[in-house]
Amino acid sequence: MMSDFATTVVRNVDLGRGSFLIEFEDPGLGAAMRPAQFFMIGIPGNDVLLRRPFSVCGLPGTFDDATPGTLQVLYRVYGRATSLLASLKRGARLDVLGPLGRGFELRGDDAEIVLVAGGIGSAPFPAFLKELARRGRKASMIYGARSAAELPLLDWFEEHTERVTVTTDDGSAGTKGLVTLPLTSILGDKRKVHLYACGPNPMLKAVARLAVEAGVPCDLSLEAPMACGFGVCLGCVVPVKVDGETRYERVCVEGPVVPASRMAW
Amino acid sequence: MVTPDLSVEVGTVRLKNPVLTASGTFGYGLEFQPFLELSELGGLVTKGLSPKPRRGNPPERIVETPAGMLNAIGLQNVGVDAFLSDKLPKLRAFDTAVVANVFGETEAEYVEVCEKLDASSGIAAIELNVSCPNTECGGMIFGNDPASLATITRACRRATKLPLWVKLSPNVTDIRETARAAEGEGADAVTLVNTFVGMAVDVERRRPVLANVSGGLSGPAIRPLAVWMTWQVRGAVKIPIVGMGGIMTARDALEFLIAGATAVQTGTVNFVTPSSAATVARDLASWLTQRGIRSVREIVGTMRTT
Repeated sequence: MMSDFATTVVRNVDLGRGSFLIEFEDPGLGAAMRPAQFFMIGIPGNDVLLRRPFSVCGLPGTFDDATPGTLQVLYRVYGRATSLLASLKRGARLDVLGPLGRGFELRGDDAEIVLVAGGIGSAPFPAFLKELARRGRKASMIYGARSAAELPLLDWFEEHTERVTVTTDDGSAGTKGLVTLPLTSILGDKRKVHLYACGPNPMLKAVARLAVEAGVPCDLSLEAPMACGFGVCLGCVVPVKVDGETRYERVCVEGPVVPASRMAW
Repeated sequence: MVTPDLSVEVGTVRLKNPVLTASGTFGYGLEFQPFLELSELGGLVTKGLSPKPRRGNPPERIVETPAGMLNAIGLQNVGVDAFLSDKLPKLRAFDTAVVANVFGETEAEYVEVCEKLDASSGIAAIELNVSCPNTECGGMIFGNDPASLATITRACRRATKLPLWVKLSPNVTDIRETARAAEGEGADAVTLVNTFVGMAVDVERRRPVLANVSGGLSGPAIRPLAVWMTWQVRGAVKIPIVGMGGIMTARDALEFLIAGATAVQTGTVNFVTPSSAATVARDLASWLTQRGIRSVREIVGTMRTT
């Protein structure tokens, strides 16, 4: 059940190169929360007015070295709000609203699971991978970013997937190019796959187009500017096709996970 | 210690306390049940209702700016019929004033929505939105010119016996003129202010951040502007004022009350902390208690300038 609660920062781990994993006390939400659901987190101080949306990254059992009784959020310092978040120390109060939205669902079939992440868009995948492992489902990952500096938790993903194919725009890690390069080759094999993708919108659009063309099921975890996170501001809408008509749906309530075939980009 | 009397009267509408929630920031009210007791509110104002559902503007629709936000939602709403059949029956269960915000593309559309609301029970008042800056025909064309505002107010006044509040645009040279026009055509109250038209630029792309190009600015950034307009209008009309603009706390609400508003609406803060309106009402009671003031009505319009 969604609630607005004050919690306490337990750790705010600097993963290097601008990425952080913040850990805060779980008031008992973790057990019922789905991977890719999200929180609206209040930014300390008066500089930033609105809360910011963050996917849950670690649920109970996701990270072996997590503090018991905590949840984890992965973020990258990008602007004023995330800089302030990065300044929080153990014991700091954190205002958190959640869990919000619809997370990843797993179909009970034998499709091979391929995760496609773009930079900090890898955030919802640790919790999801742990769930897949518990259900005996294997997954591989395509992990793209602008450069080697923007691939947080890469070592963890290499340990917890069958294989990670890395692509970077500048060639500083993995293959030089976009995630669509390895994805095209996987889809060309005509294997039975199910894609789950999270990253910047241009990447998601490209992944969605390939998946729809190949007739492969693909769930996107979308990102959008949000004022409220619980469905009232109507600021985060995206165009979708419903019964042949285009209309707007809220990323915060009807998403953030939306089937690629539903999008009307 | 005696609990202070928070009740106020906006014309014939009696409110248990002077804190309402602003249109467009509170959905249809029901969405906030996980966060507060709706019956703790003086009232709530619905998302703007049109004759037919509207899908609103394309994204991007919002962006945060210093101490505020710009929005260009484009009056997306379920339409008055769906409101009456799906939302209002549930809202009737709560002991709070439900104010229906109304807009249309033409005078006939305003009248149509007013007539439908008039025929329903459970509506405390109608708030005419003649000031939305985000659609070509979302009311601002009616609200920025005193003569047009008078015409639309007159038509709606004939269409309903419900108390009629007119929500004024701040995007005018002199807000006292539109306030007088509303009063002259029988409005029971004026609510002010709607958002200020603004713009944010994505400097890398050299494009407006919002797809609509411009948006409406709300939040603490506009509070001094809104308080000033409340004060100006207080000196220009006799009908009650419902004030708003960047209210985050009870102290902010008190600025409007002292400047002459009988009641206030909280807006952007409902997105940030969804229980805020109830907190503002409670803190207002504490503020009065601490000063031994028995009724909030002893505060309204008590600003001294000498």
